Amino acid sequence: MASLETEVLVIGGGSTGAGVVRDAAMRGFKTVLVERKDLADGTTGRFHGLLHSGGRYAVRDPEAAKECIEENLILRRTAADCIEDTGGLFVSTPWDDPAFGDTFLEGCRATGVPVEEISVAEALQREPRLHPGISRAFTVPDASIDAWKLVWGCARSAQEHGAEMLIYHRVVRLERSDGRVSGALVRDELTGRELRIHADVVVNAAGAWAGQIAELAGCRVNVLPGKGIMIAMNHRLVNTVINRCKMPADGDILVPIRTVSVIGTTDTRVADPDDLEITEAEVEEMLDEGEKLVPGFREARALRAWAGARPLFAPEEVADTREVSRSHALVDHRERDGVEGLVTITGGKTTTFRLMAEAAMDAACEQLGVDRPCRTAEEPLPGSEAREFYTLGSRVRAREPVPQLQEIICECELITRERLEEAMEWRHTPNLDDIRRTLRLGMGPCQGGFCIYRATGILHSVERLDHLAANESLLSFLQERWKGVHPILYGDQLRQARLDDWIFQGLLGVQRLPT
Amino acid sequence: MTYDTVVIGAGLAGLTAALRLAEEGRQVILVAKGVGSTHLAPATIDVLAVDDKSPAEALSKLPSEHPYARLPVEVVAASIEWFKARVAGYRGGLHENFLLPTAVGAVKPSAVVPESMAGGDLRGGGRFVFVGLGLKDFYPAYLAENLDQLADVSARGIELTLSHEGSLDLARRFEQADLREVIARQLNAQLEPDERVGFPAVLGLRHAAEVWRDLEERLERPVFEVATLPPSLPGMRLYEAMSEPLRKAGGRVIIGPTVVAAETSNGRVEGVVVEQAARSTTLRARSFMLATGGFASGGLQLDSRGRIRETVFDLPVAGAPDRPRFLPTYLEEQPLDRVGVAVDEQFRPTDVDGNPRYENLYAAGATLAGAAPWREGSGNGLSVATGYAAATILEGAQ
Repeated sequence: MASLETEVLVIGGGSTGAGVVRDAAMRGFKTVLVERKDLADGTTGRFHGLLHSGGRYAVRDPEAAKECIEENLILRRTAADCIEDTGGLFVSTPWDDPAFGDTFLEGCRATGVPVEEISVAEALQREPRLHPGISRAFTVPDASIDAWKLVWGCARSAQEHGAEMLIYHRVVRLERSDGRVSGALVRDELTGRELRIHADVVVNAAGAWAGQIAELAGCRVNVLPGKGIMIAMNHRLVNTVINRCKMPADGDILVPIRTVSVIGTTDTRVADPDDLEITEAEVEEMLDEGEKLVPGFREARALRAWAGARPLFAPEEVADTREVSRSHALVDHRERDGVEGLVTITGGKTTTFRLMAEAAMDAACEQLGVDRPCRTAEEPLPGSEAREFYTLGSRVRAREPVPQLQEIICECELITRERLEEAMEWRHTPNLDDIRRTLRLGMGPCQGGFCIYRATGILHSVERLDHLAANESLLSFLQERWKGVHPILYGDQLRQARLDDWIFQGLLGVQRLPT
Repeated sequence: MTYDTVVIGAGLAGLTAALRLAEEGRQVILVAKGVGSTHLAPATIDVLAVDDKSPAEALSKLPSEHPYARLPVEVVAASIEWFKARVAGYRGGLHENFLLPTAVGAVKPSAVVPESMAGGDLRGGGRFVFVGLGLKDFYPAYLAENLDQLADVSARGIELTLSHEGSLDLARRFEQADLREVIARQLNAQLEPDERVGFPAVLGLRHAAEVWRDLEERLERPVFEVATLPPSLPGMRLYEAMSEPLRKAGGRVIIGPTVVAAETSNGRVEGVVVEQAARSTTLRARSFMLATGGFASGGLQLDSRGRIRETVFDLPVAGAPDRPRFLPTYLEEQPLDRVGVAVDEQFRPTDVDGNPRYENLYAAGATLAGAAPWREGSGNGLSVATGYAAATILEGAQ
């Protein structure tokens, strides 16, 4: 069996793991990251894209609020290219008690979240689609953040510092020797080959799956997967993050990100983070809550629904996952369980991923008996050196100077053939969903109706796939797109889906392809 | 003025019904908010996509809810013959399906096909070369590799890079002989004697028949088109081939306005209100033909609360599923697939009790309940057959 030696092994390729691998590599450790699927395939790739100001937690969870605002400010300096500076508003709708606004103001001031009350008229001028019956409005520095860009930015930075990223590698077991964790046995999910990784310290950054990983070392980490569903609406119904000014509840936030706005979310405790069904009742609830923020919400076109599993760390059993702190949890297993060589970092949120990584690596350093300072709060991610936020028009602007020269393969997301081929060569994958996470392929209104055939044809040639593998790429991406579309099919999106059926089933006859 | 018939919808069902009525000397106006499905679909007349038996035989075995089941097989056959007599260059019939390659290299059964596609027929096998033209909507190597797996078929792809033009621009350029000459010269150097040559379906628009014949002569072998992503050039040709004789027979074709309401009294439709550029007009007629299509075309709508609406006359909708409306697996038949307007024996939309809602309103095409056009490969066949049959009945009733 193949094996490799490293100092730090990071398990999990979400924002936390990506933060840890970068942090470790920048501290000069030889570092390897393993992820069972693609980077940001789990919770990180399935949230609404909110870079928290902390306002949401200012009343209920002050610790989380403080962390959020500190990290928000750091990421604005170090990951600007992943951020759209939309700003945020907290509004009291006719369904919310206006007096909560005072509690909210107090909470923000106590936690250091910059807040300002503005007039209703000003709020409505800024966001004309907002419910005209709002009674109060407050500005906070919320923003939206592109999680894939963030995670890949960390990964690239880590690689520049010598780290190795092993995606589609699943941890089969943690290796134990002399009462300490000494590495892991991992399996390449694409080839089935196993690999033994020896490590001085293992950082469990598996998020909602962190309990499963810790269990491999005989340690109990009580992570409650909290299911949250979100729906992307096919328009920027608002250009500012809109929050309901009340205690956090379901469907009370609308985040403008890229070309869509995302309403979220729910919070339901589930047994298995890999089994997140979206029910009709949940969709109905989101649409009803959307109406309260933006009247006419139901008439707008819904693009896609998805669910993510929050990793909520609970020291003991709780009934309601909303009661669990959003602040992160670090478990030093040497200290707590007498198991050396293992650190678990979980809980938290994408906004605080960097801080979580820092905490995990501080603990790892302590276990290794070395003192190397964290540098991630100062050094910008590759691509963010200029400290310029991205804007909605960034892709169009980049394309405008050369309008005729390059073919557009995905019209919705303005992806040229050149960029697509580059990404395919770089990702070296038969899986178009990996390409989606890299370029946003197929994420626009037609949900792949036009680009899936083209991308398959190009992938067949770039990756030299045989016909069966290419057919599989096409069919599995179609199925992946359908997964998020079918729970919200009505109105214009149903019309779009029918056009896509026309293309795939009527014109191309993909149901008749050999597999 | 009062027309004999207002036809709503410019897809193949509406065009068929309107042309049939106009040819009988009726005053017909066809009104549609845009060109219809023709510009999206491959223009083959798929009657039923059965692999191993004749479409005619399969037609006789459909369940009674299927719109085809309203029609004797002879009527379907007559509609096809009627169509072939009007649109030049279509081949085939109900006895056996062609097996045509799709742009991914799947094999698709079609009953009646444009002559420019017939050369791609895979029955009996053969050697095929597929030629890419640098078009982003056509991948010859991928499609050829899938076809190459078939018994008796050998297939390969060649890429001739022209320029990165869209299919419409390419089609226009094919109408000039110099492009055809360049392509023929390049290809003749690479072709084996018994290979047939497939191009993406961009071989001309107005003069497509000439373009295709000229390429066959220059290459001295069968040349054929493979339908690919919209816009569909063969479909645009089909639209022209139907709407031109319709105009010549005295029919009016108005594309652009939306039909927003109906005026009815005493169980009859008196007129439909059309709106364009904030102006509305009422079109009055003795009878009306609804051919607005299904969800794809906007003839039917589903709202966020699960209510399904027929958009012009607010007709009752049949076949609406209990929950769920959709299944998690994409390629399964979806519960919503066969939703549509139920009609009586005379193709008149009915109430829940089975009686015609309006005595002078008829419906045809994808609006009708009971079919799953993409899955069963029945789209254009159903449009021609029901458009023809409903127009025949309407004509008889007047």
